[in-house]
Amino acid sequence: MVSGKKTKKTHESINNRLALVMKSGKFTLGYKTVLKSLRTSKGKLIIISNNCPPLRKSEIEYYAMLCKVGVHHYNGNNNDLGTACGKYFRVSCLSIIEPGDSDIIKSLPGDH
Amino acid sequence: MVKFLKPNKAVIVLQGRYAGRKGVIVKSFDEGTRDRPYGHCLVAGIKKYPSKVIRKDSRKKTDKKSRVKCFVKLVNYQHLMPTRYTLDVDLKDVVTADALQTKDKKVAACKATKERFQERFKTGKNRWFFTKLRF
Repeated sequence: MVSGKKTKKTHESINNRLALVMKSGKFTLGYKTVLKSLRTSKGKLIIISNNCPPLRKSEIEYYAMLCKVGVHHYNGNNNDLGTACGKYFRVSCLSIIEPGDSDIIKSLPGDH
Repeated sequence: MVKFLKPNKAVIVLQGRYAGRKGVIVKSFDEGTRDRPYGHCLVAGIKKYPSKVIRKDSRKKTDKKSRVKCFVKLVNYQHLMPTRYTLDVDLKDVVTADALQTKDKKVAACKATKERFQERFKTGKNRWFFTKLRF
């Protein structure tokens, strides 16, 4: 099974990659826009925080399953995900539309 | 990255009078139209599900129990929950956007979809579609 504890190094690299996406790519933050991006098949990767309500999390995962888009469960709560995005608000789920210069889409979906 | 809101997709209506009912997408308007500048689709759904038919029912009873009442509606994508199921019943010729213009055209469309749904129910296929969603 996947290692229970995410190592510090991979966690930081996810944060770095996310920061690069924020700078150079296109993304949307928030549940409504995540579903919109999935419906129009624009989203390429979905990131969900660990304290996202389970019903909402399964709904996003179901949409992503229909879309064949990867979902990454971020190792941190919505406060941490907001900080990782460089925002001063909480972010429970986000969708990456264009990764820009980042390789987050190639490196992440191996992990689910 | 695969589009899934396509014709023949089974969906569940989430809002409105038909909330909780299952339907099938007949035609999707991803870009919207002038009247509806958002993604929406034509859904043909079940207003009243058929009851459970058992083996010892008489012919008259099975006919009565297999009756399906249908609705035809333009629904915003936001008010639908897509599912992994599909229902390939050919409704394209019967359910069209202009069937919703006048009341009698709508009734005619509903009657035609009712026929098609009932015959599909009687074959015993797509059983998930014809069972009521319990919530």
